[in-house]
Amino acid sequence: MIARPTPLLIVEDSNEDFEALQRFLRRSSTPISIQRCISGEQALAFLNRTGDYIDQITPRPGLIVLDLNLPGTDGREVLRQIKQNKNLKSIPVVVFTTSSNPKDIEDCYQFGVNSYIVKPINFAQLKRDVQLLVDYWFEVTTLPN
Amino acid sequence: MLRSVSPLHLEYLQNMGVTASMSISLMQDQKLWGLIACHHLSPKYVSYNIRTVCEFIGQVMSAELANKVTNEDTAYKVQLKTLQAQFIEALSQTEYFLDGMVQLEPELLQLVNATGAVICSASQCICVGETPAEADVRALLNWMKPHFHQSLFETRSLSQNYPAAESFKAIASGVLALEISKVHHNYILWFRPEVVQTVNWGGNPNKPVEVLADNSLRMSPRRSFDLWQETVRASALPWKPCEIEAVIELRSLLVGVVLRQADELALMNFELQRSNEELDSFAYIASHDLKEPLRGIHNYANFLMEDYATALDGDGVAKLQTMVRLTQRMEDLINSLLHFSRLGRAELMRQTVNLDELVHQTIATLTIARPQNEVEFRIPRFLPEVKCDRAQVNELFTNLISNAIKYNNKAEKWIEIGYLAGQEGEIAGAGNVSPITFYVGDNGIGIPPEHLDKIFQIFRRLHGRDDFGGGTGAGLTIARKIAERHGGRIWVKSIPAEGSTFYFTLAAEADA
Repeated sequence: MIARPTPLLIVEDSNEDFEALQRFLRRSSTPISIQRCISGEQALAFLNRTGDYIDQITPRPGLIVLDLNLPGTDGREVLRQIKQNKNLKSIPVVVFTTSSNPKDIEDCYQFGVNSYIVKPINFAQLKRDVQLLVDYWFEVTTLPN
Repeated sequence: MLRSVSPLHLEYLQNMGVTASMSISLMQDQKLWGLIACHHLSPKYVSYNIRTVCEFIGQVMSAELANKVTNEDTAYKVQLKTLQAQFIEALSQTEYFLDGMVQLEPELLQLVNATGAVICSASQCICVGETPAEADVRALLNWMKPHFHQSLFETRSLSQNYPAAESFKAIASGVLALEISKVHHNYILWFRPEVVQTVNWGGNPNKPVEVLADNSLRMSPRRSFDLWQETVRASALPWKPCEIEAVIELRSLLVGVVLRQADELALMNFELQRSNEELDSFAYIASHDLKEPLRGIHNYANFLMEDYATALDGDGVAKLQTMVRLTQRMEDLINSLLHFSRLGRAELMRQTVNLDELVHQTIATLTIARPQNEVEFRIPRFLPEVKCDRAQVNELFTNLISNAIKYNNKAEKWIEIGYLAGQEGEIAGAGNVSPITFYVGDNGIGIPPEHLDKIFQIFRRLHGRDDFGGGTGAGLTIARKIAERHGGRIWVKSIPAEGSTFYFTLAAEADA
């Protein structure tokens, strides 16, 4: 049904965590084109098409997977800016983080995060979580264009 | 000053057989200090010249009075100054005023020529020389507190104002007390013994009134001029102005030390609080940052098993599986540490909690999770409602009850959950004025006495990692933290092979 692969933005500074995510995303039956940013600044520039991305004509991501602890502008700030931006706020954001701090969880939902997932130290669970994520946001849910 | 003489005085002079009288006033600070009285047995007229000379003598005497008073006890005053200098030296070198004072016990007595002294702080009384019993001193101090005038209390016959002092009048008729700090309950008291004195009076001062035949009262001067002697009891030698002055100077010295001490304490508290906060956030950040590489190890070990499945033999796979298992164990430990550090920082949400409901829910949750464990739960009476943090107290009960389930190898296991109030708590070791003491008791494996002090230490386990269902070894540490955050405490009584009972309170003893 979907001709073009769905674009997904992953904001993640850890190569190992990105590798693990990518591994399971690639196995998904849904074709996904992955765009990675390693810092908050880079992610905001990409989304706002500023700086290095000024001439970019990549499609808007259908989903953003966002780490909270990033160098420089951290994930909390990125989330806040996305959800306050009229053009960006309709993009679903899933926080994918080590932090299980209740304050982070509360703050993220207050900012309008669409889902909050604590990174598991459990291979089988990670596999399941990524598959669920793809199925839910790319198969079950209808997203705005 | 000229004035007519009162009729009563005239009668008094007549009784004495005096026919001529003259008096010269001695004045100090425009007040009558005393007088020189002159009597003559026959009528006598003193010439103006002589009266002028007498007046002059009076004025010279008056002028000298101030000098005489100042020079009295000169040697003694010098000695007091020397003592004060010693105090200054000792106190400037000590951190705590009690330490400084204790070094100078004999000087403390000499400073005011006392036979006993007590240095009181909120927690202790240091007695020097002959003093009343500590309980008497405390009671006296309580009575005395409203009577301090400019931080000083002074009497030479205590039992007149404070009848309870009658029993120790022999050692403490004279009391001189100094209030160093109301807030810190710092006081110094000096005592002087009763001195039974015989005072010679010109006449009985207590009989100026006589009853006439018609029952009316008449003021009359006395007719007898024998010495009238009075025995004064329950009185000590008066405190001299120079002694009181010395004590006031000592006070300003001590206040300086106490203030310095309070400043240092405040600073220390601040530092402690800051280092506690740093420690908490350190534990939080450290354990958070430890997780990232750990997750990498976990995932990459799994990548190896997936990507090199054909290259690895059974032994290689088993070793990688062990590695994966260890990363998960490490994560459990980090999570416990994180949870523990969060407990220390999270705000306590005190609300009224029905503990009876809470404990029943806890039991239900635990038994659903472990249906294979047959345990009899005994709750002898309804548990009360208590003001506490619901989530934390739920965790406290969960940890204690799940331990009680885990560490039991009896065929018929039971766990009793109840509480002790007032006197009952005292027997269990909760101290005399205790809040409600809760307990969770079992007939489990018990704890050897040599390990009783270790069980509340974090990650301290008494059994093999996989015995009794495992766990990270943070449960009791967390339980203790929760009790302490509520102002209470936790303790245990245990007999190996017979069972353990954990007791805890959720409020400070003073709040009971």
